[in-house]
Amino acid sequence: MNRVIKINREEWNKLLIQLSDSGERIYAPVRKNGSFDYEQVARDNADGIVYNEAKPSSPLKIFFLPLRLNVTSGGRQSGRTVVVGAPACDIEGLKLLDAMYIDEKYIDETYVSRRENTIIIGAACHKTSDSCHCTAYGLNPWPGEGCDISMSRAGEDILLESLSVKGEAFMTEISGITGTEEAASGDILLIEKLRAAAAKEVAKRNNGLPGTAETGKLTAAAAPEFWKKHSSKCVSCGACSAICPTCTCFLLIDRPGFEKIKQQDTCQYPAFERVAGGEDPLKELSVRFHNRYMCKYVWKPERFHVLACTGCGRCSDGCIAGIDKNRVIREMV
Amino acid sequence: MSNINGLYKILKATVDEVIDESPLIKTFVMTPEEPFRFNTGEFVELTLDGQGEAPFTPSSSPFVTEKLEVTIMKTGYITSKFHDLKPGSVLGIRGPFGRGYPVERFVGKEVLIVGGGCGLAPIRSLLFTLIEMKDQIKKVVLLYGSKTPTDCIYKPMFSKLNSISNFETYRSADNPDGTDWDESYGLVTKLLDSPRVDLSNAIAVVCGPPIMMKFATLKLVEIGFRDEDIFLSMEKNMSCGLGKCGHCMMGEFFVCKDGPVFTYDEIKHNPEIWK
Repeated sequence: MNRVIKINREEWNKLLIQLSDSGERIYAPVRKNGSFDYEQVARDNADGIVYNEAKPSSPLKIFFLPLRLNVTSGGRQSGRTVVVGAPACDIEGLKLLDAMYIDEKYIDETYVSRRENTIIIGAACHKTSDSCHCTAYGLNPWPGEGCDISMSRAGEDILLESLSVKGEAFMTEISGITGTEEAASGDILLIEKLRAAAAKEVAKRNNGLPGTAETGKLTAAAAPEFWKKHSSKCVSCGACSAICPTCTCFLLIDRPGFEKIKQQDTCQYPAFERVAGGEDPLKELSVRFHNRYMCKYVWKPERFHVLACTGCGRCSDGCIAGIDKNRVIREMV
Repeated sequence: MSNINGLYKILKATVDEVIDESPLIKTFVMTPEEPFRFNTGEFVELTLDGQGEAPFTPSSSPFVTEKLEVTIMKTGYITSKFHDLKPGSVLGIRGPFGRGYPVERFVGKEVLIVGGGCGLAPIRSLLFTLIEMKDQIKKVVLLYGSKTPTDCIYKPMFSKLNSISNFETYRSADNPDGTDWDESYGLVTKLLDSPRVDLSNAIAVVCGPPIMMKFATLKLVEIGFRDEDIFLSMEKNMSCGLGKCGHCMMGEFFVCKDGPVFTYDEIKHNPEIWK
């Protein structure tokens, strides 16, 4: 483990409020009406910050790919953003976003500036949810790379492990503002125990769920009837894509003055691939449904050599038709 | 192209002339605000201010940068709006995008081109390029099919091509419509019964409606073309042009960035390509 510092939770909350009051964008998952999602931290919600629980309703991508953005006038984002409490599955998903938005030919500076200006404080999942299945895809339910700091709550303490130069600088910065101390070996042992327990819990729940490569093979081989059966309840609402940490498709909308608005889109919507003249490779609902599985388990991994499903399980949580992705996959086996 | 304003930057262009090519197809000759450079087979996104955007492969010569010609078939909402444009109208150009025809691979070869309908538009740009390269190309054979003789576009171009010593053209109309027609009738694939090229030293280019591209490609394979020597121009719903928005995904490929020109060998593993 890298350098770990400890800070009392109340002091940590105060620090977040202080940073927020100074004009920085500080986000953390806050519980409200039974679920929790990212909110800008303020005096009136800091007590509701959820620590080390899987997972905020929204994926981490919302901080880098806004739902709607004017790409004609929109430029680089300025100022600092700190996202507290991102789960490891979402952090892993950024690898695909980076590959697509910081590619060799067309670098999207809006995305790049948001990535550069954001400190990601990942959170180990001490409490996992029924839909969590990161371990089936070779991931741990705690951040190991791809973010700046890994955060764990141990009792009334917050432990922060530095994972990047940016994270180290942030830890030094906060040590100058509030009381921190180096974590003791007992603290580290405790969080390692909490992590191991969470990993065991996720692995047990997903016993027999195939890995991504095997899922890809099964997805490509399953017959059209299989997809017809499993898509029959799908209403093409697109929720699965909206809350997926790796779905990035968008629509360009024209506005007078040659302005272009980039807005989140999904292959699950009818007419996503329709061309002039009416040809539409994804006309059939079952083909659209299958397309998403192919994208996640075959095409994007093949193209970018990263995971395109990181096992967050939000698509199953958010499906209003009750389609459970992993039940679909288990039926292929 | 390193900032977002650059990525989505519009170059304004004024329509100079609108040419009626067929009842449903018009060519728009436009002057961009700045010289516009592209390689043959690359495509552009054309914007109608506030109304929408659509991808087209220029039909003009890449050697001419002060004018750009785009040939558009009226077949949907936005293409109908394009057809309403008059000389003096201003539109926006983004691009050029994608991978065009690898014409350097055509040197020393016999080039068999199979076009259908409005698919002759990108081919016309390719032909302008091949005319410039005519001393380096052994032979060019153009096979073109349209629904009827009236639907045949770029009619004046054919006699000009035939006047070049190593260029030949053959046309076919699916059905007669009562107008004069000295060429043949039937599907364009029928013209492939006698391909008129030396198969041991030939490459093929196909561009047209999906169904025609499918059967032309299968026929080319049948008569002996190697999969890696068949160049297909895959026109999908290209939108951003940057390999990001996902609308033109064809398996693992982003047609806008990896294509629109692919060899059959590159994409044949995907059964969905003809959809």
